[in-house]
Amino acid sequence: MRRLLVALLSLLALGYAEKTFVVAYQGGAVTLDPHMRNETTTLAWQHHIFETPFFYNPEGKVVPVLAEKIEQIDENTWKLYLKKGVKFHDGTEMTAEDVAFSILRAATHKKSQMKGYVGKVSDAKALDRYTVLIKTKVPDPLLPAHLDHAAVIPKAYLEKVGEEGFNKHPIGTGPYKFVSWLNGDHLNLEAFEDYWGKKPDFKKVKLVNIPNGATRVAALLSGEVDIAEKVLPQDFARVERSGVATVKQTPGVRVIYIALDYWREYGSEGLPEGAKNPFLDPRARKAIYMAIDADAIVKKIMGGAATVAQQFLAPIHEGYNPEIKRFPYDPKAARKLLEDLGYGDTDGDGWLELPTKDGGRVPFKLRIDAPNDRYLNDAQIAQALANMLRKIGIQAEVNAVPKKVFFPNMTKGHFTMYMAGWGSMDSINTALSLFHSKDESGLYGRFNRMRYKNPEVDRLIEEAAKTFDKAKREELLRKAMYIAMVEDVAYIPLHYENVIAGVRKGVRFTPRPDEYLHAFEAEKE
Amino acid sequence: MRYFTVRFLQMLFAVWAVATLVFLFLQLTGDPMELLAPEDMTEAQVEELRKAYGLDKPIHVQYLIYMKNLLRGDLGVSWTSGEPALALLAQRFPATLKLVLVALGIAIFFGLPAGVWAAVRADSLVDRALRFLSVVGISAPTFWIGIMLILIFSVTLGWLPSAGAHSWKHYILPGVTLSFYRIALFLRMIRSTMLDVLSQDYVRTARAKGLPERVVVYKHALRNALIPFVTLVGLQFGHLMAGAVVTEWIFAWPGMNRLALNALFTEDRPVILAFVVLTAVIFAAVNFVVDVLYGLIDPRVRYA
Repeated sequence: MRRLLVALLSLLALGYAEKTFVVAYQGGAVTLDPHMRNETTTLAWQHHIFETPFFYNPEGKVVPVLAEKIEQIDENTWKLYLKKGVKFHDGTEMTAEDVAFSILRAATHKKSQMKGYVGKVSDAKALDRYTVLIKTKVPDPLLPAHLDHAAVIPKAYLEKVGEEGFNKHPIGTGPYKFVSWLNGDHLNLEAFEDYWGKKPDFKKVKLVNIPNGATRVAALLSGEVDIAEKVLPQDFARVERSGVATVKQTPGVRVIYIALDYWREYGSEGLPEGAKNPFLDPRARKAIYMAIDADAIVKKIMGGAATVAQQFLAPIHEGYNPEIKRFPYDPKAARKLLEDLGYGDTDGDGWLELPTKDGGRVPFKLRIDAPNDRYLNDAQIAQALANMLRKIGIQAEVNAVPKKVFFPNMTKGHFTMYMAGWGSMDSINTALSLFHSKDESGLYGRFNRMRYKNPEVDRLIEEAAKTFDKAKREELLRKAMYIAMVEDVAYIPLHYENVIAGVRKGVRFTPRPDEYLHAFEAEKE
Repeated sequence: MRYFTVRFLQMLFAVWAVATLVFLFLQLTGDPMELLAPEDMTEAQVEELRKAYGLDKPIHVQYLIYMKNLLRGDLGVSWTSGEPALALLAQRFPATLKLVLVALGIAIFFGLPAGVWAAVRADSLVDRALRFLSVVGISAPTFWIGIMLILIFSVTLGWLPSAGAHSWKHYILPGVTLSFYRIALFLRMIRSTMLDVLSQDYVRTARAKGLPERVVVYKHALRNALIPFVTLVGLQFGHLMAGAVVTEWIFAWPGMNRLALNALFTEDRPVILAFVVLTAVIFAAVNFVVDVLYGLIDPRVRYA
C-alpha cells in the first residue's frame, strides 16, 4: 500500500515537472523550413529547432553559436571553424558538409528569403569535417553577422525525405526538437537530451498563436500561458494588479521616425497646390523636429511602452554616436525659425503661410501620412504630431491608412511628411538603405523614399560598408550619422518601440531587443 | 437525374465565376511582392523571388495556368508557407466545422423552443421579454460578446479557457459567442412563421377535431413552420463556415477563417483563392442538402 502511494506520488511529481510551458505570440510560424520565410515570429519559432553559425546575443553583439570562430583569408574568402560534437536531433553529428550545404541553400535556393543576408555568398564547401570555406561575390565585412540567417539543417536527412518530408518533421541542432504542429497556430516541442549547449529549464514547450491582444492577456492571467508577447499598454496595470504575472520591457531596435520631402521644390503631394516645399532647407526640417514633443508621445500615447530616441540608431547598434542628442522641444523657437525663413503669418489669422509659384501666399497646410495598422498606436501618434504642428501655426492633418495602402504610396514617393518605422540589427544595412542617396541600380538608398542626399555621407557609408576593421567601420558610421542627423536633419526620430512580454510569476525572462521571443531563454525562478 | 446534372453544372459555373472574380479583384490590390518579399532583399533578389512564384508572367497567362490547375483540383501552393493551399485549409476545416455545429446546435436548442413558446403566448409578458432579448442578441457585436465572455469566464471566474481548441471546454465560449446572434434570429423567425401557421384553417380544423393543443402545435403547426427554418439554418451554416472570422480570431481558434484572414494580411493569394473556392463549394452543397430536406419535411415538394 505504501509503495503504491509512493509510486503514485512520484508519478504526480513527474506529471507536475512535465507541465508544458506555453508561450503565446501575436502570430505564428508559417513554415518550418528555415530558409523560406524571413519574418520575426516564423524565425523565432524556428530558432527553437535550428541554430546558425553566429547569432546576436541580447546585448546586440554577434557571438558564435555553431561556429567556433571565423577567419578572413582575403576580401572574398572566409574560413569558418565549427564546434565539434554538435548533434542533430536524429543523433547524427553536424559536420562541415551540412553547414556548407545550408549556407549555400540559404544563399541560392530560388525561394530563399535569406538572400538579403547571405545573398553575397557565391560558394561554400567543406575543407575537412569541421571547417567550411566560404567565398563571396563582393566583399562583405559583416558576413559573420549575416550568417545569423543561415540556419543549419542536416544535408543527408533533407536529401532523404525531400523538402515536403522535411517540412512535416524538421530536424536541427537546437535546444528543442520538433514534436507536432499546426501551421500558423501552434508548435509542440520537447527538450533535446543531447543538446551541446546549456539545456533549457523547461522540458515540454508549446508555442501558440493568439492574435488578439486582450485574449493573450486573458490567457496569461488565467494561467493558460506562461509568457505572452506584446501585452498592450492599456493592459499593463491589469497584469501588474493581478499578482500572477508582471510586464517586462526592453527598448527595441525599431525606431519610429518622420521623413520629409527633400527633392521637390513644387508639387509635393502633402502641401497645398502650387505651394513651395519648405523642407528642402534643413532649418525648416529642424523647426518640425523642435515642434515635436517626443516625451509626451512616449508618456501619453505609448503609456511608457517606448523609449525616446535620441537618434536613428539605437544604443546597441554598431555606429551609435553618443554625441547625437535630440534637438530640444521648443515650439516657440520652431515657429520663429519658420518665420525667419519667410513662412510667417502676413494676413494676421495666426497660421503660417507658404509662398506659391506665382508669387501669392497660401496657408501652410500639411498632410501627415502614416499607417494605422503597422506600429503600436501609429494613428494616434500621427494625430498627436498634427496637434503639435498646429500649435506652431501649421494646419496639419492626418491621413492614416492601412499598411497595404500606405507602403506602396510610400515607395512611389507620394508623400511630403510621413511617419513609419525601421528595425534592423545591421547598421550598415540601415545606412545603405535609408541614408545613402538613391541610385538606379537599386543597391543604394532602397528605402530612402524622400531622397535625402549628401555626397559626403554617401562616401562615408560606402567606405564603412567595405571596411573590415570594426573600430574603423564604427568611426565612419558615427561620422556619417552625425552629419545626417545633426547637420542635415535627414530624419526626425521619435522613439524606439519597447519589446514587451507578460511573464508569469515563477518564471525569469527578459525580452530581447530584436523582438525574437525564445522559450529557451526563460528560466525557472 | 437531370435535376442533379443541372444542379451540378450550376455549381461548377458558380465556382468558376467566383474564382475568376476574386482572381481579378486580387490583381487590383497591387504588387504582391510588396508584402511577400522581405524588406532587406535587393531589387534583383526580389525579381528572382517573383520568378520563382511565376509572377513575372502576364496576368492572362497566370490566369490560364491557375484555371488549368483548378480543373485538376490543384488550388496552388501558399506563397508564405510553401505548402499546398488546399492542405492548409483541409487541416483546419474540422476545427471550423465542429465549432459551427456546436454554435448552431446551441442556437437551435434555445432559439427553436423559445420561438414556439413566444408564438403560442403571443403578446404575453414572456413574448415581449423574449423579443426584447432577441433585439439585444441581434445587435450586440460579436467582438464585444467574445471579449466580455473571456473577461467574465476566463479571467474573473477562471472556469473556462479562452484560447485554442484543446478540449471540449474550449468550445463553450466561442460556441456561445457565435450562437448569440443565431438564437435571436431563429427565435424571431420561428415566432413569426408559427403565428402565421397557427392562424391557418387546417390548424383550426385540428383544434376543432379536439386534438390536444400539444399535438396541434408541435405536429401540425411546427412541421410547416420548419420549412423556411431549415433554409435559414442552412444559410447560417454556410455563413458561419466562411464568416466566423472575428470569433476565430478572438479565441485563437485553429480554424480556416483565421487562416484566410492571415492570408489576406500577408497577400498570400493562393490561400485566399482556395478559401473562396472552397466556400463557394460549401454554399452550393448546403443549398443542395437544404433542397433535399424540403422534400423530407414537406411531401408536397417533389422534383420532376
